[in-house]
Amino acid sequence: MTHAIVVEGLAKQFRSYHADRPRTLKEAFVRRLQHMQAGESFWALRDVSFDVKPGQIVGIVGSNGAGKSTLLRLIGGVGRPDKGHVKIQGRVAALLDLGTGFHPELTGHENVFVTGVIAGLTRRQVTQRLDSIVAFAELERFIDSPLRTYSTGMQLRLAFAIGIHTTPDVLLIDEVLAVGDLAFQQKCLARIRQFKADNCAIILISHDTGQIRELCDKALWLRRGRLVAQGDPESIVEQYVAEMESETKRKTPVEWPVRATPAGSVLRMHENRFGSMELEIVSVRLVDQQGRSVIEFRSGDPLHVEIDYSAPQRIEAPTFGVTISSEDDQVCADLSTAAAGISLPVLQGEGRITLHLERLDLNGGQYYVDVGAYTSNWEYAYDYHWHTYPLTVLPTNNKKGVLYPPHRWEFSDTP
Amino acid sequence: MKNSSGRLDVQRLIYLRDLLRELVVRDLKVRYKRSVLGFAWALVTPLMFLTVFYFVFKVALSVDIPRFGPYAFTGMLVYSWFQSSVSQASGAITDSRELMKQPGFSAAVLPAVTVITNLIHFLFALPLLMLFLLVDGTGLKSVILLLPVVIAIQFVLTLGLGYLAAAGNVLFRDTEHLVAVLLQLLFFLTPVFYNASMVPERYQSLYRLNPMVHLVEAYRAILLGGTWPSGLDLLSLGVLATGLLYVGHKVFINLSYRFVEEL
Repeated sequence: MTHAIVVEGLAKQFRSYHADRPRTLKEAFVRRLQHMQAGESFWALRDVSFDVKPGQIVGIVGSNGAGKSTLLRLIGGVGRPDKGHVKIQGRVAALLDLGTGFHPELTGHENVFVTGVIAGLTRRQVTQRLDSIVAFAELERFIDSPLRTYSTGMQLRLAFAIGIHTTPDVLLIDEVLAVGDLAFQQKCLARIRQFKADNCAIILISHDTGQIRELCDKALWLRRGRLVAQGDPESIVEQYVAEMESETKRKTPVEWPVRATPAGSVLRMHENRFGSMELEIVSVRLVDQQGRSVIEFRSGDPLHVEIDYSAPQRIEAPTFGVTISSEDDQVCADLSTAAAGISLPVLQGEGRITLHLERLDLNGGQYYVDVGAYTSNWEYAYDYHWHTYPLTVLPTNNKKGVLYPPHRWEFSDTP
Repeated sequence: MKNSSGRLDVQRLIYLRDLLRELVVRDLKVRYKRSVLGFAWALVTPLMFLTVFYFVFKVALSVDIPRFGPYAFTGMLVYSWFQSSVSQASGAITDSRELMKQPGFSAAVLPAVTVITNLIHFLFALPLLMLFLLVDGTGLKSVILLLPVVIAIQFVLTLGLGYLAAAGNVLFRDTEHLVAVLLQLLFFLTPVFYNASMVPERYQSLYRLNPMVHLVEAYRAILLGGTWPSGLDLLSLGVLATGLLYVGHKVFINLSYRFVEEL
């Protein structure tokens, strides 16, 4: 089978336009007088080669500024590479900046036409797909209202719905699979799988390593513009996460006051506490329905994890995570704000994040609740408390395993 | 998997037509949304100018031009299509950063959208001008069939300059302001409210380097005079316009690549 996308020896150099290039004649003139050099340049991408077959999903992981978006744009034909080339078979569609072309004064209906045509559909195609787009966005009741009356979530749903109603041979997706609530996200993922089944080649940028593992046939890891590794998503993600862990260790200060938790554990750097400390987790409380701190806990009861943080500087959209693991280090639950599709605002000062577990059907035994705060793209941890908060689940009549689901037996002598 | 290239080109043309249409319609809708007069502004604006011009030049300065109303109105409609198009086109790339970053988006439609939007305003006001001509007894001659040709030449000329202005604004943001001033000055160097023959003989050759002089005269010959405009004028205007469009488009495409990298 031929390739849908072939990228060979791709390199892209950026001149630091922002600071150094004169924007007006006056600036250009002043520059000349001061004998200033033209702006410095840096390589946003260097010698990147890979290919994608029709029906393949390729995931890209890498920290901010690694060149992921630049790569996607070059593949989409925005900008010109300095070296190498991109070969594309067929029509390209992109879910990069959702809502390009939206105008707040126009109705949802009018915006679907403008944006649909900008996304590459003809008017006839938009007309045919209109009902399906509106239904997908779940906006039937609002479609004739001006867009300015929509919430951000509604706008993004509409933009996404338009984007996935194109019929591309190549689809480029940049961090947009976290739109809307979980049910909507599931619908989006199902649509992506449908694209794959229809032989569309897909490139996906995501900070959600779980998504990369789950969806992709291949993964690429970019670091400072270079392709570090490519191959099986499972192993690429593992390497990437391992690097993130070592990055966290590198950033963890050695000299830092030891702290005791109310429950009597001690937090020591490099022992059970890691992170750059740009944001500190000040206290973690496991509480029951009445708001009382619990150490012992009855299976099936609700549990609330209250995390108090303190951020001396501005922290851009951090991610909070809670992991529950058994004594023998088996992970029972691994939850995060990012996986739940929640993006936190910029945090500064003090505040509290609470995870509400409606019920926790753990089997009796000894568990740990690990708590962490991470950069928005999981690059490293700000503060991570490992095996510091014990949780004892009272014995049940289940002898083995980690689950104790609510259950009952029923007997009947007629089959 | 794909159709033959010939078929694809037709698809592409249909797509570009739809894209232009949607963007033009969006521009028009957005401009007049929530305004009471709405699209009627396309008539109200030139009529207001005309009233003032008539007062200043005919009543106060008593310029000796017969049928001054239709005379000035023709010049004004033609020039304001040109002026609005070029000045709006100068921001076409720089104001559409998002669209420019969209893979597969044909940036070259953007200046065309502004020229077409203003053409629609022009065409909307044209019947009013013709009504003037009928009322004051000039009537319309068969030479009016030539009007689309002149409009086409002006379209190509304006689009070519629009591409250059848009591209120039990527290099230096001063372009937008410079273009606005130049267009304002060129207005006075175009025979909108006076007659080109009033310019002294020794300045004529210099004065006639302004292509708008010939365009406005061609329109007047057809509409007011009912005579054929100078064929040589039209031919050389057509050649100039086509050349400008070719060069402008090339420069535009090259600089639009550069623009998307300034991020």
